[in-house]
Amino acid sequence: MCQRRVAITGLGLVSPYGGDLADFFRHLCAGESAVGYLQTDDLPRPLSMPFVSCPAFDPDVALGKPLASMMDRFAQFAMAAAFGAWDDAGLPRKNEAENRDDWGVAWGTALGGTMAYEKGYRELWQKGRERLSPLTVLLGMNSSANAHISIQLGLGGVSMSHTVACASSAIAIGEAFRRVRSGEATVMLTGGSDVPQAYGVARAWEALRVMAPGDAETSATACKPFSAERRGLVLGEGGAALVLEDWDHAVARGARIHGEIVGYGTTCDHSHLVRPEAEGQIRAIQLTLADAGLTAADIDYVNAHGTATAEGDPVEVAALKAVFAGRAATLPVSATKSMHGHLLGGSAAIEAIVTVLALRDGSIPPTAHLGQLDPACTGVDHVTTARHGQPLRAALSNSFAFGGSNAVLAFRAVDL
Amino acid sequence: MESIGLIRNFLKDRLGVEPENVVPGAALAELGVDSLMMLELMFEFEDRFGIKLSRDIKTPRSVGEMVSLMDRLIAQSKS
Repeated sequence: MCQRRVAITGLGLVSPYGGDLADFFRHLCAGESAVGYLQTDDLPRPLSMPFVSCPAFDPDVALGKPLASMMDRFAQFAMAAAFGAWDDAGLPRKNEAENRDDWGVAWGTALGGTMAYEKGYRELWQKGRERLSPLTVLLGMNSSANAHISIQLGLGGVSMSHTVACASSAIAIGEAFRRVRSGEATVMLTGGSDVPQAYGVARAWEALRVMAPGDAETSATACKPFSAERRGLVLGEGGAALVLEDWDHAVARGARIHGEIVGYGTTCDHSHLVRPEAEGQIRAIQLTLADAGLTAADIDYVNAHGTATAEGDPVEVAALKAVFAGRAATLPVSATKSMHGHLLGGSAAIEAIVTVLALRDGSIPPTAHLGQLDPACTGVDHVTTARHGQPLRAALSNSFAFGGSNAVLAFRAVDL
Repeated sequence: MESIGLIRNFLKDRLGVEPENVVPGAALAELGVDSLMMLELMFEFEDRFGIKLSRDIKTPRSVGEMVSLMDRLIAQSKS
């Protein structure tokens, strides 16, 4: 079967820093954390935790009031990121000239429209109402994000969402990649978004005892992947989108190509819901390298899953050491969740963007707040301050989710 | 004239339509009210006035039709 090359021609996100893509990447390279201190007025006990919010995001401005009012916040993030990526790709939002019947959407979200349902529960149980707005179903459904994107951009091909916990958007991007590579789709809009600050969701995460503690002063440095002092992960809201395009189609229309997506592998540990195993991760990385036609020697950067949990980080490093062997000690690795937080279903998408920008600009963003390295996490080249002017050829982005689902994406820099 | 006020507030809040454009002759579709928004508007109306609309009600097409429908139902519920 003849396989097509797959160009990344559009990148878009809702940045927790409030600015554009370049501003986002600059903040990351400067090691600046977007983590703030979330305090709510929820009853009976307000939330107070380190969290990454997007306070500058105004859905009415980004999407227009009529569209924004038909969406839950996770879909608003999705739509805004998708518009950003589409505009970045230089594609018109309304198209009459070209048939888009095989263009599609693959979105990732772990929680979907949880906020819409939570609002419903509040109305019913707290406010004593007996009925809910008829729009609740349409705001709450997980597939609302991909459906809105298909409608707004006039995409007539597959429109689907993937829910695989913290690997949701890695799998969405991977499945989108395969469709373009096989020729099933000319263009796929892909990515992920999530809004984990629903009261019931945030409280549930707290109960798992994997959340980093913090207050108004310490929240910014609360997430410390690979550090001996790490205390857990920091959740965040947001969305990120990529336009994947048949290489020849992109070249023919004179599109700017940010990078190439070249491989995708996914596995399951099939052993435990929350205790990761290196073996499953190793298989995912090896599958991805093989799929990409790359070897360990070709990889110049790994954007780690690196959530800063006690159990997760050492297992990921062990998996990298097993695959990269003699190369591991000089393999640059960073976990940017230390700054943009853990977007759950949106994580892999925002990290895919980070990885593509790293390759494109030859700059590796650091793992922030990594003071004292955990002895259990040694053996790779931890990047703790940004490295610029790097001739990066290819890179991986890891996503290792609850449920033991692993997904790895491989990207290659465009030869200039 | 409670009905026109409710419609104006709703359209301003949900669709950003300026109240001066919400006049009896205006077609609801042209103001951006599709079938889903109509469902939501009916829901608001039911909620505000404690009325239950029958399911086979004829869908109004203009602001004027909507106002007469609402006014009629409010009057019925009071009598």
